[in-house]
Parts: sequence; structure tokens; C-alpha cells
Amino acid sequence: MIQLTNIEKYYANKGVKNYVLRLVTTTIKQGEFVSIMGPSGAGKSTLLNIIGMLEEPTYGTYEFLGENVTSLNERKRIELYRNHIGFVFQAYHLIDEMTVYENIEAPLLYKKIGSSERASRIADLLDRFNIVAKKDLFPNQLSGGQQQLVGIARALAAQPSIILADEPTGNLQSAQAEEIMELFKKLNQEDGITIIQVTHSEKNAQYGNRILHIADGVVKEDVTVA
Amino acid sequence: MFKLNLKIALRNLFRNKVYAAINIGGLAIGLTSCLLLLLYAGYEWGYDRQFKNSPHIYQAMINLNDQKGEVIRTINQSQNVMLAALKEEFPDVLYGARVTDVYKRLVANGEESLKLDSRYVDPDFLKLFDYHFISGNPAKALNDPNAIVLTETAAKRIFGTTDVLNQKVRFENQVDLKVTAVIKDLPTNVTYGFESLTTFTLYENLNQWPKKPNWGSHDYYTLLKLNENTDVNAFNLKLKGFVGKHFAAAKEDVFLYPLTKLHLYGAFLNGKSIGGNIKQVQLFVGLSIGILLIACINFMNLATASTQGRAKEIGVKKTMGASRTNLVFQFMLESFILTLIGILLSIILLEFSLPMFNRLLGIEIVFDYLNPTNWILIFSVLIITGFISGSYPSFYLSGFNVIQSLKKSLNFKKGYALTFRQVLVVIQFGFSVVLIAATITIYKQIQFIKNTPLGYNTNGLLEIPHEGLLYEKFNLLKTRLLSSGAVVGITQSSGSISNKNSSVRGLGWDGMSESDKMIDFDQIYTTYDFTKTVNIRLLAGRDFDQKFASDTAAILLSKKAVEVMHLKNPVGTSIVYQGTKRNVVGVFDNIVWGDPSKVAAPMVIAYADISDVITMRLNPHNSLSESIGIINKLVKELNPNFPVEIKFIDGLNEIKLKNEKILGTLANLFGCLAVFISCLGLFGLSSFSTAQRIKEVSIRKILGASITELMTLLSLSFLKLIFIAIVIALPVAYYIMNNWLMHFELRTSLNLWMFMATAILTLVISILTITWQTYRAAKTNAVNALKYE
Repeated sequence: MIQLTNIEKYYANKGVKNYVLRLVTTTIKQGEFVSIMGPSGAGKSTLLNIIGMLEEPTYGTYEFLGENVTSLNERKRIELYRNHIGFVFQAYHLIDEMTVYENIEAPLLYKKIGSSERASRIADLLDRFNIVAKKDLFPNQLSGGQQQLVGIARALAAQPSIILADEPTGNLQSAQAEEIMELFKKLNQEDGITIIQVTHSEKNAQYGNRILHIADGVVKEDVTVA
Repeated sequence: MFKLNLKIALRNLFRNKVYAAINIGGLAIGLTSCLLLLLYAGYEWGYDRQFKNSPHIYQAMINLNDQKGEVIRTINQSQNVMLAALKEEFPDVLYGARVTDVYKRLVANGEESLKLDSRYVDPDFLKLFDYHFISGNPAKALNDPNAIVLTETAAKRIFGTTDVLNQKVRFENQVDLKVTAVIKDLPTNVTYGFESLTTFTLYENLNQWPKKPNWGSHDYYTLLKLNENTDVNAFNLKLKGFVGKHFAAAKEDVFLYPLTKLHLYGAFLNGKSIGGNIKQVQLFVGLSIGILLIACINFMNLATASTQGRAKEIGVKKTMGASRTNLVFQFMLESFILTLIGILLSIILLEFSLPMFNRLLGIEIVFDYLNPTNWILIFSVLIITGFISGSYPSFYLSGFNVIQSLKKSLNFKKGYALTFRQVLVVIQFGFSVVLIAATITIYKQIQFIKNTPLGYNTNGLLEIPHEGLLYEKFNLLKTRLLSSGAVVGITQSSGSISNKNSSVRGLGWDGMSESDKMIDFDQIYTTYDFTKTVNIRLLAGRDFDQKFASDTAAILLSKKAVEVMHLKNPVGTSIVYQGTKRNVVGVFDNIVWGDPSKVAAPMVIAYADISDVITMRLNPHNSLSESIGIINKLVKELNPNFPVEIKFIDGLNEIKLKNEKILGTLANLFGCLAVFISCLGLFGLSSFSTAQRIKEVSIRKILGASITELMTLLSLSFLKLIFIAIVIALPVAYYIMNNWLMHFELRTSLNLWMFMATAILTLVISILTITWQTYRAAKTNAVNALKYE
């Protein structure tokens, strides 16, 4: 599904290149649950951003679903966001002016999905995540864990084939974090959604089936979890 | 999507109430000003266009030529025979009418008598203008020489009803006329307005002079309808030499000028139109655009300044697959919602301000809710405003980079964004500075003209029209008024002391050159006591005196007249005036007669028993109301058929500065509004900016900065902008006001202090605006700001 070849990312500062990523080459297949781990500043988030096409690599090629997307025009990228990629953020990033229901609905609107289809999908998601009673509340009326549930529901609404999560439990207490990770695992196993997460926690990484250890911009280890 | 965006926009409004109030308030004020000025411009532009025939009505204008055939002056009145001659020789001229100047004429129904603005016109006048007839037949209404057409209001004032067809009225106390039609009141934006119309034939019957064909005198407006297919420029070429053919001595050419252009482009120089009221319209349209722009700038500034709060929303939406178009559309929608609310508010404001505006300008604009043009106007203002104010924020905000906007990093594009916002603030305040400077200059010019000595004393000076039986009973009136003690002086004259109404050329004197024949002298006729009553200073000789029988052929010269005639000993010499010899018996000091902003022309006061005005000076020792009461009573007794109309010279002189005063008031009003809107924007902007710097302020505070130091720090970035605006705007203001002053022969000077005052005023207002925000920021408890980090 994802093929990264010799991805490099550096920032040139007064002629000195500060490398964030060096010659990263890896393949991620459909249905995998990959955790990217490493110390602060190792380049985890940058790698995830490149996979999410939020940043462009300085060098290297990136193929997504067999298509070269290394530098994609805006229209194509938006198409991918609408149909294939869902984002989950550490700080949830719900839109404060929208209710829970509207937050989940937003990506469907961009995807131009009909109103009855929208309603049924949202109802389904609310039901599945047990947040039906909260649908008319605003984000600031929810706890962190609940907000992240909404965040994931929103990411799933457009029925993406891959979810990119940047430290999805970084702001949560451990009980809530476990709940979220269980959810990811279930989505991966039952719905076959590819998940790539960045995490600090060894424990969280165990929920997936593969761990990429990164340090100083280089993939040090590529471990398969039993 | 639209519904959701709408909801978000409204929720955003409610969340940021101050921001919304500043934005909508500024917009509403800006839009109201803009609509007012545009309505006024529309009113001016609509002059004489209300009639079906408007595009094909022309007025005969005359270019007066000098010896070499160069045009000296263009006048809009023509000869009494012009129309007939044109109709006879050119079949393109379908029909037309001669029209007299508007005069107050006495119209009476039994005891009820009043003066109406009246014109004598040819019957086809009603064919040219399709007035709305309440009763009567337009085709026949003026066929009977003794017919009168009244407007609705005039009919109501005389009879109390409009149902007055075939009723009789007494006209000028001379003849009985029959009401043949009543028409709806005219709009005020017509050149040839009136309250009553009578026939030109009646005019000829009542007076001697209009009847005689006369190619030498230009007294009437000639309006005519040209064949719709005739090219007027080609037609005008055929008119070259037309007057000369009929009257060999004439040095003039007639040409046709479209009536619809007369009001806006009615000023001529060297025979070519050089504009006219269009300049006022342009000024107003410019002003309205400027004010609207200031309001739009507010919107742009505030919207972009609030990016911090919106950045996350934009970033998230982009990752969900929102295209830039989606986002631009969303922000545009928000801008349109705000503009729409602003417009609704401004329509309410318009309702309240329109009557005041009308009174100020002496016009009648109503906002007609049923008129689609008005809604088109409002709709276009909505579209333009919404688009202008929404454009920068939408394109700026939608261009955010996802990652940086999610990290809330505020460093992105900072240099560029601030520069653009700074430019906007500079534009806003630059415009305000120009308006403040204009207000000061106009005010100073008005004061300057007011303080220019008139050359006579207006204190207790008043006039009444010389009419009816007052002609034969003038001496009786004079003795009675003087003996009553109400007045200390009374005199008659051919014109009011306040308004120039006559001039003459071709005077002769010893030692004159050929070119001196072309000098225009102001002239006024009077009998006795003129200089004494009006208080004109005599520099040599004396006024006309009954003791000297020869004084009926005497003349007085003004100081200026003596100068241009180069007379060494004026008193006692004789000059040729109107073809006869006149003895100069006195020299009087120059007076302001006519336009107070013009240098006084040479003037003569000639003895003649030709009079339109009686001027008197009240007894300063008696109470005003008592004296006026006596005058009213005595005049009514002697001239019972005419209402007594007392006018104070002071008031008449005030009217002459009306245009300048209106301009001053407008500059003042819209200047204040522009400053106010700019300050609203500055207030909002400084609040956003200080909110962003609150952490910096807190840290500095912990490090020991005083409140004053912090306030200075926060204010300086804004004051820098205001300062730049002042530096740029003052030369512009100087240039504009210098140009404006060039219109006046007598003009005040532009001083450094005026511009200093403008600069200081602007700075003080801005400092006051910013201080509130900076003070609050500087006073905040440092802990509150820092603990959330």
C-alpha cells in the first residue's frame, strides 16, 4: 500500500544541512498496524507527516496505492484525504464551533455524500462509540478521552483505508488510553483498516503488529510483533 | 455544507461579541454614509431626467464673442425671438417654449394672498415636460392667456383643496386668472421648478418690453425639443452665424445644449463645458468609496488578526479533505453574513439620518422601498463590500499550511501579513487625516470670508420688496416709519445690498483707453439716503441730496472705480454713464456686493427712481420685536394686497456661504465618521495584538518593567503606523486643499499650525484608542498569563 524509497528530509540552515530523516526505505502493506517509535526529535512525526502528505520529502520517492505521490498537486491530494486517509491527532483537534455530530459530519460534507447516507453513517458511528447522548455537545463539554473518540469517529466517517495517528493517547490517562488502543486494534483486525501510529509508549506499540524504531532520522529496527 | 458554514459563522459571531460589534458597527456606519452619499449622487445625477422627453430637450445657449471672435462668456438666456426664428428655419426643431426666471408672484383668492414661485412660459412648455396632471388637460391648459397652472401644494395653500379647476385667482393684484390645471408637486431636482405657471402672452400683456422683438437682449430661457434623429453636434454647426444673420451688430453664437447635462455640466469656459455640479457629485462618490473602504479595511484587519483562533480549524478541515475553494467560500460566506447584518442595520440608520441629511443639504431624498433601483444599489453595495472585505481574509487564511497551523505556530508568513495589515491601517488613517485637514481648512476659509469687512454695517439692517402701492406711497412710508421711531434710516434701491444683480460696461471718462470700454461696473440705482441707511463710508464728496436739483443726474463712484478710471480728482468731474453725462458727487469705500469670496468689482451708485427693494435700519434703542411690529403694521396699511416680507441682510449674507458651509459640515461629519470607524478598527486590532503579546508582557513584568514602560512598548508599534499615515497624508491634504482654495479670489492661507493640529489631533485620538487595551494588558496579573503554558 505504501512504498517509501530513500526518503530524506533536511532543513538547510546557512549551508549546513540538518537531517531529520535519512534514507528511509520501507513498505507498509494493506491491513498492517504499524507503530513508529523513537526518542524526541528522532523524526517520527516528520515521517508520519510525509506519509500523510502534509510534508514533502527533500529526496526519495513515495508511492501510495501504487501511485507516485512524492509531490502531488493540491487537487489530487485532497482527493486522497477525502477517500483514503483519516487523521487522528494528539490534541484531538476537533473544531470548537461544531457539535460532536457536526464534527463527524464535516468530512462527509467535503466528500459530497448525500444527506440520508450521511445520517445513517453518523448514527452508526455514534452508536458504535457509545456517544449518541453526546452528539449535540460541543468539544469543550467533553473529557479528553471522549474528545479523542469523536476524533477517531470523525477520521472513520469517510471510510478511509488508512488511519494516521500522531500520539493519539499522548494527552490521555492510561485507562482512556487503553480504551483508544483497543479500539484501534479492533478497527485493524475487524475492519481491515491500515493504521500507522506514532507513539512513545512501548505498551501502546504492542497493540500493533509491527514496530519501526527510529533514531536520528534513521530506521534502526523493523520489528514484527508476535 | 452551506448550512453548516452558516451555523459556524453565526456561532463565531456570538462567541466573539466585541469583535462582531466592532465589525458590524463599523460596517453599518460606513454603509450608511456610503448609501447617503450615493443617494445624493443619484439625486444630482437624476436632475431633469424624470421626463419622457428628457433626452431630446435642449436649451439654447449663447456664446458671447469678443472682437476677435473668441468666446468671452457663455450665457444660458437668449432673446425673445430666438425660439420663433429657430422653429421657422429649422424643421428639426419640433416645438419649444420660452421660460422666464422664477419670481415670487402674488396670487390671491379673496382675502387669502400669498407669493408663489412663478414662471411665465409658452404653452408648449407642458408638451416638453410630461408633468403628472391631477386635473386639467396638458394640451390646452396654457392656451388661454389668462390661465394659471398650480402645483398640488400651491393649490392647497390658496384654496385648501386641489379640486380647484376653473376657480379664479387674482394675479399680482393686476389681473384675474382661471386655474386650468393642477399638477403633482415637482421633484426638487429639476432645473425649471415652479409653484405656478402662467402664459407668456400674459407676461406680454402685463409688460411692455417682452412683446417687442429684440435681438439685443438676453432675458429668457429657450427650451426646445429636437427631432429624435437629429445629431445635435451637426445641428450646432448649422447655427454658426445664425444670430448675426438676424442682427448684424451681434457678436454671439447660439448653440443647443442638452437639458440633462445642464445641471451637472453647466459651467462653461471659452465656450466649452468645464463641468459644474458634477464635481460635487464626484467628490461625494469619492468620499463614499473612501468611507466604505475604511469599513472594509476594518473587516479585513480584524478577520486576519483573529487568525490565531482560526488556524486550527483550517488545518483540521484541510486534513479532512477541504479544498482551498471550500475554505475561501466559507470565509466569504462569513464576510457576506456580517455585511448583510451591517446593511440591515444601515437601512435603519439611513431612515433616521436621511431627514437630517436632507435638511443639511436643503434637498429631498427619500429612500423609496418600492423602487427596484434602490435595491439594486443596496445589493451591489452588499456584493462589493462583502467581496472586498472578505477577499483578503479568505485567501490569506485558506492558504495556511496544515502542520504549522495545527502547531499554533504564529511565525508563519508573519512579515508579509503584518506588512499588509500595516498598509491597511496607514490607508485608513491617511484618509482620516486628509478629512480632518479639509475640515479645518474649510472652516478657516468660511471664517476668513465672514471676517472680511463688508464695507457696510449689517446690524439691524433689513429689507422688504418694493412693490404694489409702495411705489406711489414710498415717501409716506418713509416719513411714517421715521417718525414712529422704529427705524433710523430708510432708502430705496434697484437691488438688495446683499446681492449683486446688475452690472454695466461702456462707461466713458476723460483719459480712458479703448480696452477700458470692456470693464464691468457693478451698478445700483437709488434716490436718497442710501449710503446713510446702509452705512457705507464716504471717502470724498457727499451722497445725493434733495437740496440739489441737479443730483438727479449725479453718480457716486466706489474707491475701486476711481482706481480703475485713474481719476485724480473724481468729485466734480463728469463721466458718461448709459449714454448720458453724470456728475460725480462722491466717492464711497468698496463694499462686498455679491460673491463675498471675490475681489470687489468697481461700482457705481446712480440716481434713478427705479426700485425693487426698500432697505431700512432699525432704531438700536427700541426693542426688535416692537420695531418689526410697527414696520409690519405700517407696510400692511399702505400696501394691503401684499404680504409683508421682512428679510434681514445678515441672513441674506449667510445664504451666500451656503455651499461652503454644506461642504464644511459634510467634511466635518464624514471626517468624524471616518475617524470613528478607523478608531474602531484600531481598537479591535490593538486588542488582538495585545492578546498575542500577553505572555511577553507578563515575562517583562516579572523582570521589573513598569506599567508605563509596558504601555509604551505596546502602543509604539501602532503609533508608528499612525505617524507614517500622517507623514504621507499631510502633503496630499495640502495639495487638495490648496487646489480647493484656488476657487476663491479671496482666500485664507494654509498654515503650518493647521497641519500640526491635524497631526496632533490624529495622534491623540489614536493614543486614546489604544491606551485602553494596552493599560489592561499591562495591568494583568502575570501569573494568569503564564500558568497556562
